[in-house]
Amino acid sequence: MEIFALFDCIITPACLISQTAGGLKIGMLLFLVASGLTLVFGVLGVINFAHGALYMLGAYFSWQVMSITGHFGLAVISGAIGVGIFGLIFERLLINKVYNSDLLVQILLCYSVILILDDLVMIIWGDEFLSGIGVPEVFQVPPLFIFDAIIPPFHIAIIVISMIVALLLWIIMTKTKFGKLVRATAVNPRMLEALGINTNVIKAGVFMLGSFLAGLGGALAASLGSVVSGMGNSIIIESFIVTVIGGMGSISGAFLASIIIGMARSFGAVAMPLFTDGIMFLIMVLVLVMKPEGLMGKKK
Amino acid sequence: MGFLKKDNFERDAFIGLIVWIFLLIFYFVIPSPGIHDIIQKVFILGLFAMSLNILIGYLGLVAFGHATFFAAGAYTLGLFLQSSIVNNLGSLSIPAAIISAIFISTVLAAFIGAICIRLKDIYFSFLTLAFQMLIYSIILALVSITGGDQGLMGGFPKPPFLGIDLGKPFDFYAFTIFISIITIVLLRQLIESPFGYGLRMIRDNPDRPAALGFNNQRHKLIAFIIAGSIAGLAGSLQALLDVGAYPEWAFWAKSAEPLFMILLGGMHSFLGPLMGAFIFEILNDFVTANTRYYGLVLGLVILSFVLGLRRGLLDWLLIKFYRK
Amino acid sequence: MLKISGISKSFGGIKATDNVSIELKPNSINALIGPNGAGKTTIFNLITGKISVDDGEIFIGNNNITNLKETEITHIGIARAFQITNIFSTLSVKESIKMALLAKIHGLNNMWDRFSSHSVNEEANNIAELTGLKKVYNTISSELSHGDQKLLDIALALALKPKVLLLDEPTAGMGPEERWEMIKRIKELWQKTKMTVLFIEHDMDIVFDIAQTIFVLQQGSVIAKGTPKEIKKNQDVIKAYLGGGKK
Repeated sequence: MEIFALFDCIITPACLISQTAGGLKIGMLLFLVASGLTLVFGVLGVINFAHGALYMLGAYFSWQVMSITGHFGLAVISGAIGVGIFGLIFERLLINKVYNSDLLVQILLCYSVILILDDLVMIIWGDEFLSGIGVPEVFQVPPLFIFDAIIPPFHIAIIVISMIVALLLWIIMTKTKFGKLVRATAVNPRMLEALGINTNVIKAGVFMLGSFLAGLGGALAASLGSVVSGMGNSIIIESFIVTVIGGMGSISGAFLASIIIGMARSFGAVAMPLFTDGIMFLIMVLVLVMKPEGLMGKKK
Repeated sequence: MGFLKKDNFERDAFIGLIVWIFLLIFYFVIPSPGIHDIIQKVFILGLFAMSLNILIGYLGLVAFGHATFFAAGAYTLGLFLQSSIVNNLGSLSIPAAIISAIFISTVLAAFIGAICIRLKDIYFSFLTLAFQMLIYSIILALVSITGGDQGLMGGFPKPPFLGIDLGKPFDFYAFTIFISIITIVLLRQLIESPFGYGLRMIRDNPDRPAALGFNNQRHKLIAFIIAGSIAGLAGSLQALLDVGAYPEWAFWAKSAEPLFMILLGGMHSFLGPLMGAFIFEILNDFVTANTRYYGLVLGLVILSFVLGLRRGLLDWLLIKFYRK
Repeated sequence: MLKISGISKSFGGIKATDNVSIELKPNSINALIGPNGAGKTTIFNLITGKISVDDGEIFIGNNNITNLKETEITHIGIARAFQITNIFSTLSVKESIKMALLAKIHGLNNMWDRFSSHSVNEEANNIAELTGLKKVYNTISSELSHGDQKLLDIALALALKPKVLLLDEPTAGMGPEERWEMIKRIKELWQKTKMTVLFIEHDMDIVFDIAQTIFVLQQGSVIAKGTPKEIKKNQDVIKAYLGGGKK
């Protein structure tokens, strides 16, 4: 463990700023994906293990649209919407059959979907790494220098986009009628049905929204790195960590936890390069042991 | 042979012996290394799945980090046999290595279990997952000991003991199956004992046992430790087979494998997970021989079990032909 | 036999149990009554140690059991049957009763015997006969009728050979005929085993029929106690039931 490297970094403005920006970028991308996961769990009570596979699909979809149209914005948006629609079909065909099943059945159903999708994308797009969709032209400019810290403008764009999505999500959940219905569905779906509201539509809508967020995360990830089958298998575990730390079902908790994990990864890479992942799991263990309901979760 | 009529330990041990002898004869009747390899793998994976089923099927706890103990057993065995202790122990090395592997996974299971069993439902599952990934990260980080992401390379010696040379295919086959069958017979004793019925009580109704004056938590912990130690044994046998240990054995996806086997074979029959391991291995062997897209086929099979049959094959067969 | 003196319990500032004292004579059968929400089940939970007591003491004979663990209290001699049947769905009647018997003698850590051939078989048989469950002895609990499930719940408590038996609404969810059958059965059990029994019941006809002493609970306090005759005439009780028990 290189604890001195960490100290050196914290007292050097360039390192501190670049690591903080890096941590925010990681954290905010993670939030996009994890917020969908925690939303689906909070309302539907399903741990969607296949959420990472949806993220991967988002990357492939946007790659496909990019290679046809060459338009970055269109590629990202269609990646997200495409996965949203895919999620809707997934929910109607499969997920809704296991709402009342036990945890094991839900896990196995989702895991089988991961296995299937991981192979399907290989069949369709080949098993080679696809180079990502890259950074749009506007951002292909020299990086910013803040106190000698090198910060690519596109990273700032990603942080801003994610923040906007977080804000929109917050508005949807707290200020709109849909949000009220969603929250009511999470608490007492029978009551809503008695009032003549079709909760199946709401559930499908929530799942679609969750999938959209996974797809958006995947599409943006495709701009930063390459696209490959199985790329969802580590983001899903990170999303679980965020969901658990923040409190299962809590979107604001996921926001906080995403930043914590982003920073832990970013600064952990300086302090313990070989154990960066270990730090996250250590935090997850500590939270589960000391406060199982998570930082912002409701105590049962 | 009167004892054969009763459901008791002696009968199980006798049946186990018969099965073992049968499989030894089978070895010579069907001299196909491929098939022998499948059979010994079925037993190793079967032990892994059956140990997890103590928690899932009998205790109703969805542990999602069982590969932790599999990997702990495998690495302990590998490191033990790579160390210089072997020079001193000589022919005792292999038994000592297996016992150490079981010991280390037992201790690890006691530590992790004591913390995990305090949580319920999904929180329990997540904590087992978190511990597993923590151990995985540690294995990757301790490059100088574990070989990091390369795994435990370089092989290790397998000194013969009691006339058994595990370097020879037949000896390995006979030994692995023998150890597995003993473990299975002991496990059945455990499951059919008052202790085993205590597990079913907790699964059926976790609130009631306290009102019967019975300590749930201790029962759960003991079951968790036993499950971990058997998984450690399975891991050590796997390491002996592959002459190495790999970090993927500690990755979360490895914990999903025994879940598949339990699903395929059935969680409510004692031998269900073993049957599941058999289906899993056959599927693996058959599919990988014909297509690269193993995950696709496995995924579709699991999906059809989850949504179609809705229970494992052995559970289904027993309900259809035996119980009404 | 059971002596509760001045116990109190609050949940978030609201007193669920307020300075309750109850004393049960050995071999007596007693009823605890009161309107919904009066705190009857809370008192059972306090006695059995399922929840902790804020204030006051509880004795069985000379044993102070205040705030001991639920498992310890059970072994000292209190057993209970639950309002909502609380049984083991996949075990048969026989297996369930045997498990309760084994729990009593700390036999559940035994890994070396076969449960099916374990020696408590005969005792289990006796309890099944006592509770009238012999006809469904090998039936899986989840497949029993509601009444038999209630009986099994009581049988599990009986297997613990308690000094004090607590029954929480043993006739809940039953039709009138079934109710009287159940009450007859409980009366018989009480007479045969000579345990001290405290039961919660809503049906006043039943209460007045079998209880020797009745304790009336309202909003967490005992407002009256006495024989059925005394309770029938008690003005406070009449007010509590007729004048709107719930505020």
